[in-house]
This record gives sequence, structure tokens and C-alpha cells, in this order.
Amino acid sequence: MEGSRLLPKLSVIVPFYNEEDSIDPMYRAIVGAVEPLHVPFEMVFVDDGSRDSTAVRGEEIARHDPRVRFIKFRRNYGQTAAMAAGIEYAGGEILITMDGDLQNDPADIERFLAKMAEGYDIVVGWRHRRQDKLLSRKIPSKIANWLIGRVTGVHIRDNGCSLKAFRGSLIKNIPLYSEMHRFIPAMAWIAGPRIAEIKVRHHARQFGKSKYGLSRVYKVLLDLMVIKTITSFTSRPLLWFSLLCLPLTLIGSAALIGGLVAQFGGAISLTLAGSGIIFLMGAVTLMASGTLGELIYKLGDMRPEDFARLTKRTTAASPS
Amino acid sequence: MTSDPTATLISVIVPVGERKTPLAELYADYKAGLQLSGARFELIFVLDGPHPEYESALLQLIACGEPVSVVALTRYFGEATALMIGFEHARGGIILTLPAYLQVEGREIGKLIAALDEADIAIGYREPRASSWFQSLRRKTFHGLLQYVTRLHFHDLGCGARALKRRVLEEIHLYGDQERFLPVLAERQGFRVAEVAVRQSNLDRHRQIYRPRKYLRGFLDIFNVFFLVRFTKRPLRFFGMIGVATLSVGMIELLYLVVDRIFFHSPLADRPALILASLLIVLGVQIFALGLLGELVIFTHAGGSKDYQVDRVIQYPRALLADRPRAATVAADEQAEQS
Repeated sequence: MEGSRLLPKLSVIVPFYNEEDSIDPMYRAIVGAVEPLHVPFEMVFVDDGSRDSTAVRGEEIARHDPRVRFIKFRRNYGQTAAMAAGIEYAGGEILITMDGDLQNDPADIERFLAKMAEGYDIVVGWRHRRQDKLLSRKIPSKIANWLIGRVTGVHIRDNGCSLKAFRGSLIKNIPLYSEMHRFIPAMAWIAGPRIAEIKVRHHARQFGKSKYGLSRVYKVLLDLMVIKTITSFTSRPLLWFSLLCLPLTLIGSAALIGGLVAQFGGAISLTLAGSGIIFLMGAVTLMASGTLGELIYKLGDMRPEDFARLTKRTTAASPS
Repeated sequence: MTSDPTATLISVIVPVGERKTPLAELYADYKAGLQLSGARFELIFVLDGPHPEYESALLQLIACGEPVSVVALTRYFGEATALMIGFEHARGGIILTLPAYLQVEGREIGKLIAALDEADIAIGYREPRASSWFQSLRRKTFHGLLQYVTRLHFHDLGCGARALKRRVLEEIHLYGDQERFLPVLAERQGFRVAEVAVRQSNLDRHRQIYRPRKYLRGFLDIFNVFFLVRFTKRPLRFFGMIGVATLSVGMIELLYLVVDRIFFHSPLADRPALILASLLIVLGVQIFALGLLGELVIFTHAGGSKDYQVDRVIQYPRALLADRPRAATVAADEQAEQS
């Protein structure tokens, strides 16, 4: 297979947003770290609608290095979108994502590749000695990580670390939207990947200023709820809705019976019976929603067996 | 992008609805304005419903060899639909939309086209604007509401004079009478929108009387845009919030009733408030379920709906880079055009 040798084995995906000072050093650091490994690689740089000269510098880099694919957004869409675009345009078997602000160290890529070679589908970085403010960054992140672990069942010490490695075939088929880049491992959990964690170096910010803060926690919590619901709900909406309408049915029946039985005691309780009927009606519409959900699911292009295929490993009998 | 204005063809789409200026006058004005810009142009008149007199006048123009084509629709479909159909027949790289009545002066067209150097879509706003206090209040309310909803400020979305690059209309689908929201949707797709002050035509200065139905429509349109812009990507965030709020109110009320029954012995079964509480609870659960369904639609079709719009992809092919950097630049530009 002559053609396949040209395909990059590794894609390094870096989103940039107003990082005019960081993009050149970042590029040099990646090349310096990956070239000695003798792996065919490419770099996918995503400009997330920067207002400074990031795009100009990125184009300049792409002009001199055919290994660089530079993707320019029309405007700012956020980091998840940038990551998703990078993943979409990357052609490598292994994708490595990292931040464009030089806080991640490309020298760690080697260890990520070694870990992936052991057969893991996702390798997540863990910022061991994190160089950030304690109160506004570290503590919220600790809480968020704990919550994510509790809720999704994917215990990762540092979901927020951008330095991660993925098997391309897996991550390209996991839907990413909103601000879910910090939950990629949790999202990917529906496919049952083998996840490993390794410590990575983390540098203090050199240029520009940080774009995250405390205000994100609220959004993170909401997203978390959505993910939990989606992952438990998508594969069998009817069942999920049935569970949801179970309490409604129980309360409704009890109230209805209670209202009717009260008649024998002498007093007529229309209100109780009425509210029982309302609850039962709610249960019926929920069942209908569940059926609708099942229909949507059947017409859509996400199926559990597809997720199973993403991570399966086959060992065929050797030909005798 | 080619900078030579004579090389680009400009397609002008004129949707013809109820309000129209006699064709001879309209055409002369627009033609003069277009010729000032120096570019080649074609005009596409989309007759939105039967307009027999207009049609015969247009056919005469065609017979005279003017660069005009006519698309006739069988009934009234709305201006936005007419625009989309006109666009299917447009061959130019730049699309102009102009109203079928003289709303702005024809010689202002050049300004709109010039604004496309810096933007993907340029919309005109009439300045100075002749209007009564009531009209301007109406306009300000509409634009203020829209700004509140979309966080975008426009002066005059009712102005039908717009210039667009071809790719804007390729990506945006309008129907009915959503044409006013073209800049809002374009902004949402990540296009750069510019507003250009254009002089109002003398003929536009008569007082327009809106029927109540039109107000209702305007309000519903804003509501529609509100959903489109804010919540199509995150239904559970929206419905979930409303649902949980409704559910909580119902729960609290129910709790109060139960406590009242147990500790203060006011009979639970005879209180109409019980009905309200159960209604609220059921309603809350249903709204939440709607949000879930929306999220399911998006999740299962995530491949089709992207969160981002790529402007360009730049990668220089290895083979070309080695010896001919000039050729490489061209190839990359072509790739960029396609994407």
C-alpha cells in the first residue's frame, strides 16, 4: 500500500484564540518534540476567530510547512467548536489535542504515544503541578472533576486538561457540542473506551491572558446534567420515559382511587380524583413522548452497536 | 476575490409583491444606479403571484434586449421565498436584492456594492428617514426587541436594498416573509454584516398603515428568531430550566398542602389548590421531556449540524511547495474558495 504511507499517523490539534505571541513558539515546540520520534505527523491549527494577528501568523506557518493545516473560523465559536473542527479535519490515526497558550508541553507527546501503543483508546493528561490560581481555577476544577466522576462514572482527575490523545476512529464518531470539550472522555464513555491517565507538565501562562474563570462552573454543571441524561437516555428513550412516568402513574392511581373510595365514607372528593386524572394524563403523554423519542432515535444516525464497533478488538483465527 | 469590478457579474433580484412602482420608472432608476457602479449586471424579477401588467411590461423590456429575466410564481409565497427562487436563477458572484418600489434612490446602489469589500453582506438603512412619530416608535420598538433577543443592533431591517456575496445565500434558507431577518441569520452563520446609510427615495415617504395582523406577525417573527438563535443548539438548557421551575413550584405547593393536612388538619382532598399543584407538576415534567426530545434530535443528528462555520482551510501541497511557491499560493487559494 504505497498511498497509505503518505497519510499521517499522528495529528496534533491546537486551537488558537487571540494567541499571536504563542502560535510561533507553539509550532516550533511541536515540531521540535515530534520530529525526533520519526512518526509521520501533521498539525491542525484552528483559529477560533481571533481578532489579533493569529490568523496572519498561522497562514505564514502553513505557507512554509505542508504538514500544517490551518483552519480559520469565520468568527469566534468557542473552544469546543475549535476542537471539534480540528478533530474533523485531522487525518491521523492518533489525534492529540492541546491548548494553544503554551501551558501544555509538546514534549509530553512522546509519552502519550507510548501509552496509546499499549492499546488505550484515550489517554488523558493530568496537570500534576498545576500553575494556576488556587481560588479561581484550581478549587472549582477540583469540585467539577469530582462531580463529573460521580455523575458519569468516569473518574478522571483532570478533565479540564486539554492535552489528550484519542484514537481517531473513535473520537471522530463522538458528538461534540456546546462546551463539552472538557467532557470528551465522559462523552466517549458511551463507546466504552480504554482510558489511561498520565501526568503532564504544566507551565504558567507566558503570553496573553486566561480566558476561563469561575463563571464557567454554572455552565459546566448544566452540561453535566445534559450529558448524564443523554448518555443514560439516548440508547433506550422509551424505557427512560417509562421510568419517568412510573411515579406519575402511581400517584395518579392512588389519588384517583382515594377520591373514589372517599365517596363511600360519605364525602365526595372531586378534587382528589381530578388531580389523579391529571397525573394519569401526564403519564400517558410521557409514554407518547417516549414513543416519539424511539422514532427519532431510529431515524437518527447514532446507534449503540456503532459505539460498540468503535472500540471493539478482533482477533481472528490464524490461517492454517 | 477579484478586485476588478467589471469582471464580476452582479445579479439583482427584485421580488415583485403588492407594493410596486411602475416598471419604466423603477427600471430606469435601478439601471442608472447599476451603470454607475461600472459592473456587468442582470436583473431577475420574481413575480410573487400574478401581476399581468408588470409581466407584459417586463417582457417588453426583454424584447428590447435588456438584461432582464422573469420568474413568475403562481400565487403569493412571500418575499423571502421569492428571493430564494430568484437566487436559483442568479449567475453573479454578487447578489443584490432591491424592492419592487422605489424605497431607496437608485444611485445609492454603488455604496452597497462597495461595502462588500469589508463584509459578506451589506444592508441599507434609510437615512435621513422621513416618518411620523408613530412610525418611528413602531420601528424602534421592533428593533429594540430584536436587539434584546439577539444582542444584535440593526437600524432598519425593513429596507429591501441589500448586497450579498453569493456564498451567503448558498448557506441560508429563508421562507415566507423572513427576508427581514436575513442579516440576523447571516450573522449567526458567522458572516460579516455591514450597515450602509442610503438615501430614502421620495416615493417611499408616504404613510404606511399596518393592520393588527401585521403586528402579531412581527411579534411572532421575533419569537421565532429568538428560538432559532438562542436555543436550537441547546434545547434542554431552555426547556429544562422552564420545566424544572414549573415542577418546583408545583412540588412546593403540594408540600405545603400535605403539611397543612398532616399538622393543621385542613382537609386535603377538598382543596382546589391540589388540582393546580398537580397540573404544575405534570406540566413541568412534560416541558422537561420536550427538552429531552429536542436534545435527542440534536444528539442523533450531530453529524449534520455543526456548531461552527469554517472560513478557509489553508494547506499547501507538498509537491508544489518544493519548487514553485507561486503556483502553491494559487492552489491554496483555490482550495480556500471551495471550502
